[in-house]
Amino acid sequence: MKNIIETNKLCKTFSNGGVQQHVLKNLDLQIKEGDFTVIMGPSGAGKSTLLYALSGMDKPTLGQVIFSGVDITKMNSDKLAVFRRTNCGFVFQQTYLVDTMSVMDNVLSAGLLVNKNKAEVTKKAEAILKSVDISEEKWGKFPTQISGGEAQRVGIARALINKPELVFADEPTGALNSKTGKDVLDALTKFNRDGQSIVMVTHDITSARRGNRILYVKDGEIAGELDLGAYVTGDKDRHQKLRDFLGGMGW
Amino acid sequence: MNKTIILAKSHFKKNKGTTIGLLCLMLIAVMLLSASLLLIFDAYPLATREANRLDSGSGRVRIYNNLTDIDDEFIDELLADECVRYDIQDCLCYNALPVPFGNGKTTVALVIDDKSAFEKEMGRTEVVTEDAGIVSDYIYLPYQFYTSGGYDIGDTYTFDLLDRTYSLTVKGFTTTPYYGCNNVGGFEVIVDDDTYAELYDIDGADYACYCVVYELKDGVKNSKFEISLNDKVIARNARAIVSPMSIEFTNEQRTFMSKIIAVSFLVVTFVIFLVVFLMLTNCITNYIKENMKTLGALKAIGYTSSNIRSSLLVLFCSCALIGALIGIVLSYVIMPYIASFAIAQMGIPYTVTFNIGTTLVSLAAIVLFTCIVTSLAVIKVKKIEPIVALREGTESHNFKKNRFALNKTPLNLDFGLAMKTMCFNMKQNVITFFVIGIIMFLCTIALLMYYNFNKKPKLEILTFEICSGVVAVDPDTADDLEAYLESRDDLTNVRQIIDTWFTYNGEDSLKVYICDDTSKLKNQDVCYDGRMPLYDNEIAVSGRFASDYGYEIGDEIPMTYGDDTYTYLITGLIQTTNEAGRQAVMNFDGAEHLMDFEYIPGYYWFDCDDSETTKTVIDDCSEEFGDHIVSTMNFDEILEGSMTTFKGLAAMMLVFICVISAALILLILYLLIKAFIFSKRKDYGIYKAIGYTSNSLILQTALSFMPSIIVSTVVFSVVSYFVANPYMNLIMMFFGIVKSNFIIPIPGLVAIALGVIVISFIFALFEARKIKNIEAYNMLLAE
Repeated sequence: MKNIIETNKLCKTFSNGGVQQHVLKNLDLQIKEGDFTVIMGPSGAGKSTLLYALSGMDKPTLGQVIFSGVDITKMNSDKLAVFRRTNCGFVFQQTYLVDTMSVMDNVLSAGLLVNKNKAEVTKKAEAILKSVDISEEKWGKFPTQISGGEAQRVGIARALINKPELVFADEPTGALNSKTGKDVLDALTKFNRDGQSIVMVTHDITSARRGNRILYVKDGEIAGELDLGAYVTGDKDRHQKLRDFLGGMGW
Repeated sequence: MNKTIILAKSHFKKNKGTTIGLLCLMLIAVMLLSASLLLIFDAYPLATREANRLDSGSGRVRIYNNLTDIDDEFIDELLADECVRYDIQDCLCYNALPVPFGNGKTTVALVIDDKSAFEKEMGRTEVVTEDAGIVSDYIYLPYQFYTSGGYDIGDTYTFDLLDRTYSLTVKGFTTTPYYGCNNVGGFEVIVDDDTYAELYDIDGADYACYCVVYELKDGVKNSKFEISLNDKVIARNARAIVSPMSIEFTNEQRTFMSKIIAVSFLVVTFVIFLVVFLMLTNCITNYIKENMKTLGALKAIGYTSSNIRSSLLVLFCSCALIGALIGIVLSYVIMPYIASFAIAQMGIPYTVTFNIGTTLVSLAAIVLFTCIVTSLAVIKVKKIEPIVALREGTESHNFKKNRFALNKTPLNLDFGLAMKTMCFNMKQNVITFFVIGIIMFLCTIALLMYYNFNKKPKLEILTFEICSGVVAVDPDTADDLEAYLESRDDLTNVRQIIDTWFTYNGEDSLKVYICDDTSKLKNQDVCYDGRMPLYDNEIAVSGRFASDYGYEIGDEIPMTYGDDTYTYLITGLIQTTNEAGRQAVMNFDGAEHLMDFEYIPGYYWFDCDDSETTKTVIDDCSEEFGDHIVSTMNFDEILEGSMTTFKGLAAMMLVFICVISAALILLILYLLIKAFIFSKRKDYGIYKAIGYTSNSLILQTALSFMPSIIVSTVVFSVVSYFVANPYMNLIMMFFGIVKSNFIIPIPGLVAIALGVIVISFIFALFEARKIKNIEAYNMLLAE
């Protein structure tokens, strides 16, 4: 499998009132094509910072992020935006759908950025929405008129509309109950099985089980890595293996 | 109190940009208010102050044309009974003489005197500025030649007296109460002794004149005194001409322009106050909406509604106070420039001095205004429940319909998203609509003033009748001249109009225009109520005169000329800015009840296509009728000179209002877009995250404002087109004009509308560029 992302001595430092906080420290990692990579770690370890640095949403202080062979740390914000629209999809904890747009328009607003053919993009959006179990009568509704789980699945549909190289998911089930959370994870798992590469940040073991590769971040560094293999429903050993790994990391 | 100030400081820190934007808006409003008040209470009374300083007395009278049997002793007799004191000055007077002024000529009574004019005890003439080094062949001109006539010390002033041309060096400029302004119809110039002696030798017999300035005893009515003086002089010498003018009327004419400027400024100020009201309300409402959580938290920890309300009151009132102080200072900075237009017509030197009254009124007006608007706007703070506020308040969007669905709209993505944004920001649209509408109206008024005072001066509002030229011949040749003019193809609408003075009940006078056919008058708007006289027993009088003496259309009014009196039926009311509203019109049949036209020259007015043709007609008439010609006037030629100051004012108002409008659009879009970006920061974060570029978001934001701007400019262009004239009529009523029918050029209006749209779009793009500085990640964190 080829690497989609490679980082080279990635650093991120925040400065607050003259006090410097090194959130990412000389971090080297690779994200492989087709993987469902899960980033875990304690609160404040730098998980989300790493995710947004990898996706070009946030600029690292030092180091490189080579995304599909291109050093995105050298890009200005507009070039990064154009890069993101074709290469990245995002699923956020708070869903971040645009409140004033319907479900369909939220998906189309991303799709039409890349493909100007409205009919084609609409057809694609309909198919993706159906695949994440958003029924047709919901397409014209606004985000506040559907449930949190549905909104998150719309977020997944929006993230996938342009068939990105990599989907970044930041605590996608963090604001959902276990049932709706499972639906979201099922959707992500399904797309991963279809070949979609995913990087997900989570602190939830149930969610983390869906990944085939677990990265544990601690104090701004990769403290450990676990290869779980492809997700299989009802694999109890997988859960234990993950628990043991996390226990070893001091979770 | 301490709590309130701490909170106010915190509000300011959170809303620096908005507060400073509002401060700028208030600053502009106060600057204009203070300037308007200075114009009204300091510059406008300048003529009265100067008249008092130069001891103008109650009025002045000029006796000229033929002074046989009229001497100092006779004048003493005339004045002794009814005047406290008076001053008699011998001079030369050339009535209705076209003299160079501004870009052309203006027709005035030119009073020429020697340096003894500086020794007058009443109605003094003083030097404003001079070059003592110029000692021969010099002339002192009234100060108005400097302020708007285009002359400076050392220039050569060339003018024609009858068939002679004189060129004299301008030695200095003077100020004098009665002959310093072309609006009062007279200029006093002072020439060196040799030149004066030469002029007196040549013209003394025909153009010698007594200029008398007098102060009436208490209880003596000026108009009545003027009539009796005229009767006594005419009784002594029927060929003498008496031209009286009270100081009230002189000052009224002299301040015409400053009154227009002051009223215009007040109107602009009022409009800006409206904008400040809208924006202040909007900003406070936005502030409360955007800071619902903070306000909830403040309430939860024990701050009362009144603590929060007081803090907002302190913040915005302090902002008003600071804005007002800067605005007042700026008003004194711009005042010399604005006043230069007011004094251009007055011709009186003016220095701006600090006026405590106008300063306090301006300060109090904006602070009180802000206090009231803020107090009303923050009432809703009381209704905020902490728990609701902490949950970020109630949802304000209307989700009934998904407008501009991206899969259905024919618009491209940027336009489609802009339209969606626009649909969900109705409040922003309404404010933009009204503010741009107000600005559009303001610009329409400026365009109207520019077009009707500068581009194509609407002289009808300044004079009784307009034409291209006038030729007057002695009574015996009148019919021949009329036939000659009628036979020419290069002129149209030949009409005979003469003017003379009738008296009313021995206490007032009216300048009566006598026409052969009132339907031939080009200026039919002069009669704003009723109709023009048609029959020999009819008269139309000025509305102001009718109102002063309680007359209405249908009433009968006695008119006296010499010893004869005839009673006429009032058929209409006419408007006038001249003769202190003492004008009337009737036809020749009507005038014949009182006058014998056998000895009165025939004045023929006509219209030509251009000034050159008018000149040709006048030259041909002079050649054809030679010595029979009494006088000629090329109206087009004197137009330029007479309109110089009006043109300058109109151009200044247009530029000024355009600059103010552009500043308002910039400020308002700044405030609206800033608030908009803040409220939409999460959405911008999402858009950036999914791949929208800053430029695309900037374009979307600017475009979302455009529909309301475009609709507003279109709607208010149409509204302004129809409302501007009634509105101007309202203003012009101050000046004695009831029906003005100003022309609003549609291409100009369209150009302004397009200008407003383009400027708004450019400013919107400029303001929205802040989106560039915000990173997607930070915007998401801001949630």
